[in-house]
Amino acid sequence: MEKGDLVICRCEEVTKEEIEEAIEDGAQTIKGVKIRTRAGMGLCQGRSCHQLVRKILVEKTGQKPNELLPPTFRPPVRVLNLENLARERE
Amino acid sequence: MSMPEKAEAVVIGGGVSGTSIAYYLSKEGMDVTLVERGDIASGTSGGCEGNVMAQDHEPGFDSNMTVESNKLYQELMRELGDDFQYHQPGSIFLIESEEEWDFMQSRVEKQKAAGLPVRMIGGDELREREPNLASNLLGAVESTFTASVHPMYLALALVRGAKKAGARIRTFTEVRQIKLDSRHKIRSVITSEGEIRTSTVVNAAGAWAPNIGKMVGLDIPIVPRRGQLAVTEKVAPIASRKMSEARYIAAKFHPELATNAGTDIRKYGVAFTLEPRTDGNILIGSSREFVGYNTGTSYPVISAIIKRAIRFLPVLKDVHMIRTYAGLRPYTPDHLSIIPRVDGIDDFYIAAGHEGDGIGLAPLTGKLIAQLITHVPTLIPVERLRFSRFAMEERKIRENQHLSD
Repeated sequence: MEKGDLVICRCEEVTKEEIEEAIEDGAQTIKGVKIRTRAGMGLCQGRSCHQLVRKILVEKTGQKPNELLPPTFRPPVRVLNLENLARERE
Repeated sequence: MSMPEKAEAVVIGGGVSGTSIAYYLSKEGMDVTLVERGDIASGTSGGCEGNVMAQDHEPGFDSNMTVESNKLYQELMRELGDDFQYHQPGSIFLIESEEEWDFMQSRVEKQKAAGLPVRMIGGDELREREPNLASNLLGAVESTFTASVHPMYLALALVRGAKKAGARIRTFTEVRQIKLDSRHKIRSVITSEGEIRTSTVVNAAGAWAPNIGKMVGLDIPIVPRRGQLAVTEKVAPIASRKMSEARYIAAKFHPELATNAGTDIRKYGVAFTLEPRTDGNILIGSSREFVGYNTGTSYPVISAIIKRAIRFLPVLKDVHMIRTYAGLRPYTPDHLSIIPRVDGIDDFYIAAGHEGDGIGLAPLTGKLIAQLITHVPTLIPVERLRFSRFAMEERKIRENQHLSD
C-alpha cells in the first residue's frame, strides 16, 4: 500500500499523509487537524477517526496522549432526520 | 519564542480579520507577529457561515464596503494560490407576505441606487429557478453579487501567505498585558510565551476585543451575539445558491417589525438562512441571542431553526442533520465595525465588531488597517468606523444590553 493511500477518516476520505501535512502546517490538536483536512467532519463526526488522529498527533508532535483534548462534541448524538427535530415536543 | 522578540506590529487574533491584517501588513514589508490564544480560526471564524453579502447591509456606505472587499477577494484568489472555495452563486431573500414585499421593494430601490445587482422576482419565476421551494411564496429579491468562501480555509491561506511574506504566527499564545509608557505609547505585548517589543498593536480579537481593550484602559462596546447553525449530511443539490427569508433583515435591523411574530424570532432572533457548501453539506441557520460567551447549542433554538427551514424548503424534512454549532458574532450597536486608530493611545488599532459580516469584509479589514498603519490613503473613507463614535452613544448601548438580557 502506498503511504498516501492509508485512509484515516473514512467519512471524508482523509489519508494519513494529509493529516501529517496538516500537522506540518501548524495543527497541534485534533480540532486543528479537523479544520485543515475535514477529518472528523463527516457522518460519524469523528467517532471512528479521532483516536487515530490523536495517535498520529502524539507521534508527530511529541505531545502526551492525555494532554490532547478531545474536540468539541455537539448535538445530535446520532444523525437525526430533520422532520423529527421540527416536530412539537409533547 | 526567543525573548524578547521584536516586531514592528503585533496583531492580536487569528480569525479571518487578524490573519488578513497580518497578510496585508507583511506584504507591505512590515515585520509582523500575529498572536492567537488558540489555533487559527478557532473562534468566530470557525463557527459561522461563509458569506460575502451586500444584500443584508444598509444600502450605501455599508453595502459598498462588501463590494470593495469582494474586489479584494478576486485579487486574493490570484495572490494566495490556496483554494478557499470562493465562488459567486448569488443569493435570494424569500418573501412571504405583501408587507414584506413592500418593505423589500423599497430596499431594492435603494440597493439599485447604490449599484447592487438586485431585482424583485415573482413567485412563478422563483419556483422555476428553485423548484424545491414552498409553493406559496410571493417572490424573492435576487442578487447576483453574493459570494461564498470557506472561512477556515481562508484564514489558513492568509496565514500561509503572511508567513511567506515574513510574518511570525504565534498560535496557542495568549496576550496577558499590553505595556504603555508614561506618554501612552505602546512598549510591548506580554504573552503567555514571552514578551514582544513593539510600538503598534492591532486588536482583531473579534467578540473578545473588549478583553484586549481593557488592557489599555478602553471600554470597547462589542457584545458577543450567539448564532446557532445546523449542518446536514451531504446531499444532491437542493438549492443552487444562498437563501434567506426577508424576516432576516427584520431580525437584523428592525426588531420592532417582528413584534407580531412568534416567540422564536422575538426570543431567539430565528430567521431562515441556508448555505449550500461546496463539499455537499448544507448549513441551516440562523439565530441571534445575547448569552455572554456561551458557545453551546440548544434544542429550542435548533428546533425553531429547522421548523423555519422546512417551511421554506419542504424537501429538507427527509434530510439528516449531522451536527450543530454556534459562534459568537461581535455585535456593535450600529452594526458597523471599528477600524481606525484609537485616539489617546499611540498606534493602537481596533479591527473588530463586524457582527455577521467579518468573513465578507475580511480582505477589506486587512487592507484598510495596513493602509492606515503604513500611512497610505485608504480604499474607502474610514471616519464612520472610528472608535470615538461610541462615546456619545454609550448610554444607549447600556440600555440595549439591558433590554436584551
